Amino acid sequence: MSLFGALSVSASGLAAQRDRATAIAENLANSETTRTPEGGPYRRKDVIFEPESQVSPFSAVFQAEFGPQAAGVGVAEVVEETRPPIMKYDPGHPDANPQGYVALPNINPAEEMVDLMGASRGYQANAAAMSAVKDMVSKSIDLMRL
Amino acid sequence: MLDPIASRLENYMDLLAARQKLVASNVANIDTPGYRTRDIDFQFEYMSHVDGTGLDVIEPDGLTVKNDGNNVSLDRESRLMAENALRFSMASTLLRGEIQTMKRAIDEGKSS
Amino acid sequence: MTPAISSIRLPELAAAAATSSGAAQPASGAAFQDVLKDAFQSVDRLQKAAHASTESLLRGESEDLHKVALDQQRASLSFDLFLQVRNKAVAAYQEIMRMQV
Repeated sequence: MSLFGALSVSASGLAAQRDRATAIAENLANSETTRTPEGGPYRRKDVIFEPESQVSPFSAVFQAEFGPQAAGVGVAEVVEETRPPIMKYDPGHPDANPQGYVALPNINPAEEMVDLMGASRGYQANAAAMSAVKDMVSKSIDLMRL
Repeated sequence: MLDPIASRLENYMDLLAARQKLVASNVANIDTPGYRTRDIDFQFEYMSHVDGTGLDVIEPDGLTVKNDGNNVSLDRESRLMAENALRFSMASTLLRGEIQTMKRAIDEGKSS
Repeated sequence: MTPAISSIRLPELAAAAATSSGAAQPASGAAFQDVLKDAFQSVDRLQKAAHASTESLLRGESEDLHKVALDQQRASLSFDLFLQVRNKAVAAYQEIMRMQV
């Protein structure tokens, strides 16, 4: 049935936006992190989305699937910032280099917050879609209760 | 068993379900670079009595393409989502009416 | 004739009502079989109208959901009324038949 496929599409949307929000939260938490196990300051993370066709084991059985194939979404990869870190003059800092500069992550909190709002909006939209589809399935079930 | 209008209503609901699935896709991919909005030509598919298989997925006109190649409009998808849900509800209620009428006719016939 | 109506064996009933009302003709007023016939035609007409306005809505020719809703209710009410009239007719017929003279 088309509608169950729609549910897993929306679920993938929720998951993807949540991953995005996680990456942003990490960026915000680490906006001042000057040392990491890999060496150097924290590097900003970003998620790249790509369409992903949803095949649940259940729907694979119904590959006489009626209706159009719907594409869910998935996180293709999590990329790290390639821009150089910001150098700030702070000779007293434990991680300052010989010239007295500290390498700080190239993270702009305002930019991250806007991105977070986008993730939140995307999440809400997917939740609304899931709710609408659930209602439709409910109506179909009601047709049996007569 | 039921009036022909019942199968038209069923067809209508099939198409709405298929359309809603595409709306869900569009919403899931609202931030996916390069993704294009998908839809079906509802009027056309309904009038040609298509039964849910072999629907043509089209790209609607008039959508602005953002910098990353994505052209999903949340406003459009939200509106469409609400509209599909309402139409589905309406059709299912009308279908219920047909079924109930038939049931009453059968039930009344039992006593005589 | 819509399937719902044909399922309640109207023709036989109308005939039976006609014969029995022929035997005990009321002094004035419309003959009983006409009342039944009118009610039946009314139901058929209203059901057809409801289906037509539904189809028109599904095609996108009209956006009047309220018209469809009202048409459906009218058809439904007249159907219910008809069923009751029919039941009374059957009851009356059976009572008359019981009167062994």
